[in-house]
Amino acid sequence: MNSHRIIALLAAGASISACSSTGGDDYGISDYSLVRVQRVNVGDDTLAVSAPRPWNRHRPIFFEDIRQVEDWTLNGPLLDGMSFVTGLKDGKSLIRQRRTTSQQVPIFRSNMTPPEIAAMIESLYRVRGGAVDFRTLSLQPRPFLNTNGFQLDYEHLDGDELWRRGRVVGAVVNGRLYMILLDAAKAHYWDATLPDFEAVVASAQLRG
Amino acid sequence: MCHRCLELTRRSLLVGGGAAAAALHTGVANARVRPAEMVPLVGPGYKPTERDEMGLWKEMDRAEEEIAGSNLLIEDPKLTGYLRDLIGTVGGPAAKDFRIYLARIPDFNAMMFPSGFAVVFSGLLLRMRNEAQLAGVIAHESGHFLRRHMIRSWRDQRRKTDLLAIGAMVAGVGGAGAGVYLGDYVQLAQLGTILSLFQYSRAMEAEADAMGARLLAETGYPPIEMANIWQQLIGEEEASARYRGKHRRKGSIFDTHPSEGSRMVDLRTDAAEITVAGKAYDDKRARYLSTIGAIRPMLLDDQVKLNDPGASQYLIETLAQDGWNGLLRFYEGEVWRLRNRPGDELRASQSYAAAVAYPDAPAEAFRWHGIALLKQGRRAEAKAAFARYLVMKPDAPDAAWVRQMAG
Repeated sequence: MNSHRIIALLAAGASISACSSTGGDDYGISDYSLVRVQRVNVGDDTLAVSAPRPWNRHRPIFFEDIRQVEDWTLNGPLLDGMSFVTGLKDGKSLIRQRRTTSQQVPIFRSNMTPPEIAAMIESLYRVRGGAVDFRTLSLQPRPFLNTNGFQLDYEHLDGDELWRRGRVVGAVVNGRLYMILLDAAKAHYWDATLPDFEAVVASAQLRG
Repeated sequence: MCHRCLELTRRSLLVGGGAAAAALHTGVANARVRPAEMVPLVGPGYKPTERDEMGLWKEMDRAEEEIAGSNLLIEDPKLTGYLRDLIGTVGGPAAKDFRIYLARIPDFNAMMFPSGFAVVFSGLLLRMRNEAQLAGVIAHESGHFLRRHMIRSWRDQRRKTDLLAIGAMVAGVGGAGAGVYLGDYVQLAQLGTILSLFQYSRAMEAEADAMGARLLAETGYPPIEMANIWQQLIGEEEASARYRGKHRRKGSIFDTHPSEGSRMVDLRTDAAEITVAGKAYDDKRARYLSTIGAIRPMLLDDQVKLNDPGASQYLIETLAQDGWNGLLRFYEGEVWRLRNRPGDELRASQSYAAAVAYPDAPAEAFRWHGIALLKQGRRAEAKAAFARYLVMKPDAPDAAWVRQMAG
């Protein structure tokens, strides 16, 4: 999910400063693996997509991840990211969180309408992404996975003073939430990655 | 990467890391300081003359430059002018020298930097019920400067450890200069870390409380509001923790507060001591509300969407002590909707229904009222609510979806 990207950003920032005194940029294992230009299964493998050019898949980031979420990036998580949510169940949230955490990402309910799903996404950015401003640009009906879905467009100002723009195309299928999400720096990267996103959305198919 | 890194949320950075910077919160007096004894140690136009303090100011100038240029600041001239006037009123002898910045961060926080500039978080404006309370926080922060707490504390620490030099201490400021740009939050957090080196002792907090109460009273505000702010803050923290089924937040500001009760007592005693019988005090609530009125929906929105239901509910109920209205009822519904426990959908729908009956109900209240009705199968009523929403907000970003629902 996209908050991973932002958390990764913070974590990367912290490790850069932590490592700078030891010059340790080349230790550890790679956080990325290549996504080839072919049909690939994402998330919990219930969704298949194909990208028009190679992207990079994030290694799951520790405990923040849930099985139904997968994150990709083209130019690095600071600049752009594409995320897949594949079949989130009723009563679950987009990320793992402790029961006692004061500020929580709202849980998903099967009967949610698009504005409620949009609000859930907004809280994710605010609670876990550190967005101080979040503006909904549009919310409109859009067919997705052969059903009535929605498209949400938004932009947000994050703690690193960068405005980012995002688009989510999603639908609830058999009570489970499926979404593909693009989030990129407004300057340059949004325009540069939007065609890829649209191609991926157009290619998306449920498996089995 | 470390596990802790994953916990680097805004809250942990700013409130955890910067806990000591939350000057209003830290430290508790052992012995009460009498307001009458609080004489400012700094006069108008103060400039440092000693080498260490001069160096410190130079670094702080850099920090101020970064903060002043941040796009996280709320630049509304009405609000910034208002804050400037307030610190110009309760800032004592340094009133005209202070600078004050308003950052859009939904937390209770205000901090004074050693060179005389203050940063106030927007979350503070949401929590204050009148101008006297806001003036109280600003007066308290001014008190730290007027009593020279930062430099005193820093010299004291250096004497103890002999390890800290200004250079090392402020090396973290301005990550951009060091080639690592971590963004403003992190930079603010670094400033918070720096401020933690000026950790105010309990005695200093007691001084700032007493100085603040005195400045408040001298400028015609009821000094009891200092105690009320503290009470509201404790209430909010307790409500937040209680809801999540725990004792107060771990790493919270209260970790450094073994005896918050005594601070309450002291603040009340201060207020009683300096309140002059027969003198008229004014909390200037009307002026406060008319000044922040335009951004109150934004402040509530920023808070409620953090989905911290205990704290949000407490805040809304506190504000509602001055009277319920459509805005507060709407956000009460939002708290339930985002909490989303069994029964909350019904609670939320009742709040929305109540909200739309008030003349000041925001457009969004009609939209959510409509969605709630739709889910209850009350299509015709939902349609009417959606229609009203679209009349109030014809260019609403979700108009296309709402039209489909209403159609």
